Amino acid sequence: MIPELSPLLSLVLFVAGMAAGAMGALLGLGGGVFLVPFLVLGLRLPMHYAVGISLTTVIATSSVVSSGRLGRSLVNIRLGMVLEVATTAGGLTGGIAAAMFAPATLQRLFGIVAVLAALAMIGRLERRNVLLDPDIDVGRLGGRYYEDESGAVVCYQVRRLPLAMVVSFVAGSISSLLGVGGGILKVPALNIWCGVPLRAAAATSAFMIGVTATAGAIIYYGRGEIIAWMAASTVLGVLAGSRAGFAIGERARAKWLKVGLAAILMVVGLLMLVRSR
Amino acid sequence: MNELETTRLELWLGRILGWGTALSAVLLAAGLILSLSGAPFRFASALTSGGLIILLATPLLRVAASAVEYLLARDWLFAALTTTVLVTLLGSLAVAFR
Repeated sequence: MIPELSPLLSLVLFVAGMAAGAMGALLGLGGGVFLVPFLVLGLRLPMHYAVGISLTTVIATSSVVSSGRLGRSLVNIRLGMVLEVATTAGGLTGGIAAAMFAPATLQRLFGIVAVLAALAMIGRLERRNVLLDPDIDVGRLGGRYYEDESGAVVCYQVRRLPLAMVVSFVAGSISSLLGVGGGILKVPALNIWCGVPLRAAAATSAFMIGVTATAGAIIYYGRGEIIAWMAASTVLGVLAGSRAGFAIGERARAKWLKVGLAAILMVVGLLMLVRSR
Repeated sequence: MNELETTRLELWLGRILGWGTALSAVLLAAGLILSLSGAPFRFASALTSGGLIILLATPLLRVAASAVEYLLARDWLFAALTTTVLVTLLGSLAVAFR
């Protein structure tokens, strides 16, 4: 079931990582939503091994993206550290639970989440930000950052923290079960329900998913479900690809590209549902 | 922790994440290339595994560094929160290697 080390397969994984990393970066997600289906449907890797590899790429993406962004106040580290309590608890729970699920069950769950994510993505093409008076007291968890596009300081308070905690716990569990970052749940929730502007929500989520995925990845590693050479090939590809994706995403106002990728994600999700046996 | 200290903490955490990933990527690439070129298996796979372990340890180190910084700043609430996250990650380690 687990393929032997070969230059060809290593190259295939590297290229798949690049593609997934680039598409993920364009959409503001990790590449996991594209990578897991490729590994399972394309390479016929058992679901748990695909999830293990994907989790390592989520960590790499989060670390690289956050290292470039921290210190510019777009990442709300105080909010991140509060929510991480819930996401890592979810990650630990999901990591333990993953061993109890059959691969086909996880694959179906992945399909459902991917389809919902694609729908949410199309829905969030219209960004909504709650803009507040710059002099307002943003409280202990709120934040303010300078936005290049509008040339203004964006301020926000965080509302409904308990709800954000619940969503974060669920996102953490999903992350460990399915090998995705979980930003797909947190970003819309923080944006729509908690009043965090989309860019700050995405940056804070990207900061959190590394620690979240680590909670799960450690458990997969301990179970021997992370094949080192496969993870190495894929992680290196994702690191290269996500750079390219961000470069394209910053330049182009790529609305149709995003619609296209959302459509691909929908198809991939349906395939995961149909082919799960 | 005031705003200046928070920015300093952020930059410090950013450096940990950046250097951790860079080191891990170098080890992963070296291990992979050596494995593929038929180098002694144990040496090559030790490099690859080392790269993976550093990749997984980097976020853990980031959380530990935040906990220490919040403790030093006597910001007890955030010291407690980050310590909880650290304990959860140690819980994962305990589950993985029990």
